Amino acid sequence: AFAGEVSLRLCSTRVALEGINKPVIDRIIRVDHAGEYGANRIYAGQMAVLGRSSVGPIIQQMWNQEKDHLKKFNELMVAYRVRPTVLLPFWNVAGFVLGAGSALLGKKGAMACTVAVEESISDHYNSQIRTLMEEDPDKYKELLQVIKQFRDDEREHHDIGLEHDAEAAPAYSVLKTAIQLGCKAAIFLSERI
Amino acid sequence: KMAAAAAGSLRRAGWRLWRGRAGVRCQLSPPQRPLQASAVLRRVSDEQKKEPLASSSQQQFDSHPTDHQPEQEPQGPRPSYTGQGGQESEDYESEEQLQHRILTAALEFVPEHGWTAEAIAEGAKTLGLSVAAAGMFHSDGSELILHFVSQCNTKLSELLEQEQKLVQLGEAEKKPTDQFLRDAVEARLRMLIPYIEKWPQALSILLLPHNIPSSLNLLTSMIDDIWHYAGDQSTDFNWYTRRAVLTGIYNTTELVMMQDSSPDFEETWRFLENRVADAMNIGNTANQVQSTGEAVVQGLMGAAVTVSSAETSRAVR
Repeated sequence: AFAGEVSLRLCSTRVALEGINKPVIDRIIRVDHAGEYGANRIYAGQMAVLGRSSVGPIIQQMWNQEKDHLKKFNELMVAYRVRPTVLLPFWNVAGFVLGAGSALLGKKGAMACTVAVEESISDHYNSQIRTLMEEDPDKYKELLQVIKQFRDDEREHHDIGLEHDAEAAPAYSVLKTAIQLGCKAAIFLSERI
Repeated sequence: KMAAAAAGSLRRAGWRLWRGRAGVRCQLSPPQRPLQASAVLRRVSDEQKKEPLASSSQQQFDSHPTDHQPEQEPQGPRPSYTGQGGQESEDYESEEQLQHRILTAALEFVPEHGWTAEAIAEGAKTLGLSVAAAGMFHSDGSELILHFVSQCNTKLSELLEQEQKLVQLGEAEKKPTDQFLRDAVEARLRMLIPYIEKWPQALSILLLPHNIPSSLNLLTSMIDDIWHYAGDQSTDFNWYTRRAVLTGIYNTTELVMMQDSSPDFEETWRFLENRVADAMNIGNTANQVQSTGEAVVQGLMGAAVTVSSAETSRAVR
């Protein structure tokens, strides 16, 4: 009972925290922030290896978009007073290692990693959109817009990956399954911790 | 509120049928309460007022009970009982609200009786309830202490909110972080001063296993509130570091305050100032360590590049 006594009040950054389903929004923003942070690190790892190759500019372009995504979630995190996941330092390293590791398998390996991750992320965004629509599409209009936009961006990255011969990567299906399993685990943990 | 009133009246009607007589008004006790009747006994005159109404179990109490006292004309759609100094009848108040009222009233008696059932009983008496109302709560005074802490936290939030409004309106200067933290912690700790004699007892009760989830929750949300109003916008691991550091500062200062006998707790505030200054220094030192580390790494990289290009040029020759 006392946990509920601590009431939410209008915070300084002008988002009305009263009337929103805080636990649900908390999870959504926390995991999305972690996801964009991880994606940033993955692209950073890929650039570290393939930065000077022919796919360098494309990876850089996708990385820039992820940077924008992260910036947006940083703002949302402050506005909704959501705590970041404790695992951020871990995603920092793991993301970079995944990016660099997949890039060491070659350009197609990096693209395969991109396809796997972006597919995971867009599925995940889709289920969040469904959740928010079920809750109250009007109350969460702004958040829904952001997530829809980002989902479209991630889908675009996924398609770019496919265009650049991701499927021709060594052990593509194994790689893809392993990476997507990792993403599922990351999502599960970041929502909660 | 209507639903609560309806539920309340149906519940009372049910209890009445079950118990067979109108002596006791029982409330449904939550499962974890001990096997007490959890009865809130009102004065007999109140009981007589309630009886005819409960038996009708209507949501809208439009009928006037026959032994209604003259001053209890209905105001608006519902009658309001003004039997106890103008307070609204309990029909329109949930159990939780009543408990809060009792606990708030009980705080007045804490300096004398400590965080005990006696204080709660005295508090209940001032509201016109029977001392058996204290039976609604645990005997160790947990709820009273948690209620007090929650109230203090709310007061602190309101204070910080007001200060922030003043700054936004340009009527006050924005404080530097260390001063803001010092002032916020001092303001919060000063709320303990009226109860300082009995506070060590409260602290030990808050550390009991069954209270830890609640007390930890209250502590973390208070610290989060302070950082939020201090303007913290970190979205990385700093979020945790800052809160951990401030929690440490708050807890140690609280303990120092328990032992402090200086006038107006000057020693405590000086201790607080030093701890906050230390914390700010750690931040700076951490940055310095990081930049030194980065410089070292760059130096090594440079050396590696030099060596490898020297090797290459030697190999080419």
